[in-house]
Amino acid sequence: MAQGQILAGYLAPHPPHLVYGENPPQNEARSEGGWEQLRWAYERARKTLDELKPDVLLVHSPHWITQLGHHMLGVRNLRGKSVDPIFPNLFRYNFDLTVDVELAEACCQEARDAGLVAKMMRNPNFRVDYGTITTLHLIRPQWDIPIVGFSANNTPYYLNTKEGLHEMDVLGKATRRAIERTGRRAVMLASNTFSHWHFHEEPAIPEDMSQEHPARYEGYKWDMRMIELLRKGHTREAFRLLPQFIDEAFAEVKSGAFTWMFAAMGYPEIPGELHGYGTVIGTGNAVMEWNLVKAGLVADAPRAAMGA
Amino acid sequence: MPVVAAFLVPGSPLPRLKPDNIPWGRIAAGYQRAGRAMAAAHPDVILMYSTQWLAVLDELWLTRPRLTGLHVDDNWYDYGDLPFDIHVDTELAHACVAATRRIGVNSRGVNFDGFPVDTGCIVANGFLNPDGSIPVVMAANNVYHSAETTEQLGRLAAQLADEQGKRVAVVGVGGLSGSILREEIDIRSDRIASHDDDRWNRQILDAIERADVNGLRKEVPEFAKTARADFGFKHFHWILGALQGKFYGARTHAYGPVYGSGAAVVEFTI
Ligand SMILES: [Fe+2]
Repeated sequence: MAQGQILAGYLAPHPPHLVYGENPPQNEARSEGGWEQLRWAYERARKTLDELKPDVLLVHSPHWITQLGHHMLGVRNLRGKSVDPIFPNLFRYNFDLTVDVELAEACCQEARDAGLVAKMMRNPNFRVDYGTITTLHLIRPQWDIPIVGFSANNTPYYLNTKEGLHEMDVLGKATRRAIERTGRRAVMLASNTFSHWHFHEEPAIPEDMSQEHPARYEGYKWDMRMIELLRKGHTREAFRLLPQFIDEAFAEVKSGAFTWMFAAMGYPEIPGELHGYGTVIGTGNAVMEWNLVKAGLVADAPRAAMGA
Repeated sequence: MPVVAAFLVPGSPLPRLKPDNIPWGRIAAGYQRAGRAMAAAHPDVILMYSTQWLAVLDELWLTRPRLTGLHVDDNWYDYGDLPFDIHVDTELAHACVAATRRIGVNSRGVNFDGFPVDTGCIVANGFLNPDGSIPVVMAANNVYHSAETTEQLGRLAAQLADEQGKRVAVVGVGGLSGSILREEIDIRSDRIASHDDDRWNRQILDAIERADVNGLRKEVPEFAKTARADFGFKHFHWILGALQGKFYGARTHAYGPVYGSGAAVVEFTI
């Protein structure tokens, strides 16, 4: 078996509004549209993901919060209806997903070997969180690629940002080792919003875009500063600023997905491709891609050639 | 006063899922004693507030007449599933939604199949209302609401029940000290995460037993900060609101650890 590799990482935020705006058959709620700029951003991301033909999508979601360690989905098939507890009026989604359990187990083992508390979730009745489902739908609505789902351990909130994100860095590096030793061609998905200030009331028509704008100017300015650094490939500088960004823009990257993904990719100093940016109920959302194949950091080994 | 019973109870699923583990079994036994007191009080409705049902926009109230299903906790799925069958007093729930504007709070009813009812409500309803025969009104913990706002919500809900001629049991679902043990433990020797947390919990329970409401109002903010009390102990303020700030004592049916955090089953004397 050839060594596995990470083909790309995507910043893939999970506002359920984008699924609502799209009106896919899986979602019960119906809309007149809305948030098109972000949905078109995801359309572009879907195309580039499709070209990569990965074996597996790995997603880290802030809405599966665990206290005792880092958990991974460990049931081959999970299905059910996911209703968003905050926006149940928008998101009631029937999901049916396949988990790459072998890779999930490898991730769990590598995380333990690296000194983290890690656990496999084996309960077949488990309801997958809406962050995981939303990100996966937005990036790959066909649901034809197996996934590995990671919980967000609450260390960044429970201890502090620095120690919490250090754990996510360790988890990311462990995830990379698991991908390499299982021979997977993998794509990483960081399910995070940037600035997270939001409005406290929803418009009468949620998709009324005349009501949509950044909740706070400071949050918007921070988002632009971070995106500009990331577009230029100034990864180190972006991560130097990350704790300040988190504090001053209330950024959801605090939950760790962004750090986990970059740690797994080795913090490449390559320009990220911005597919689009937009606000959702005032929060700032960027859809971005770091394509390690295009950047020449990994050789593109198609699935057949790897004999996987 | 329309309130005929009041309880502060933990929302952790561990005593419900694994009562054969002695430390958690003690909490479960306390919960069962509270359940008998609940039945003896013959309430028409239970007003329940759980710290684990999080809201960030409006205040949310369940307005679906019946919710049934199998719940799996995000953290403790290993220990099994929680079946639930919840009957909602929709008349009172709608009255609550309509009335909170009076206290400057926007509310919204939640009436969707598959809505993720939180672990705390399911555990408390399972212990205190085991056959589901008492209708409930369930209110969310809006994370931006202060203790004062939560107290106002509890008071308003009890007043509206009174206007509808209903006997009320009020239930605040949440923990005491909030630090959990962050490594795998031998669950048989579960303990409160620190001596300071344990001391804080006992001090707060003692003040509740003495009905020292003024003292509690002063101490709770410090308790919340120092001992990471579950969401600022707002579930206590929900109860206090429904009791219009008055009770005469309390009985602690159980106190102990759930994976390091503090849990108590308390019945108020009213
Ligand atoms: Fe989120």
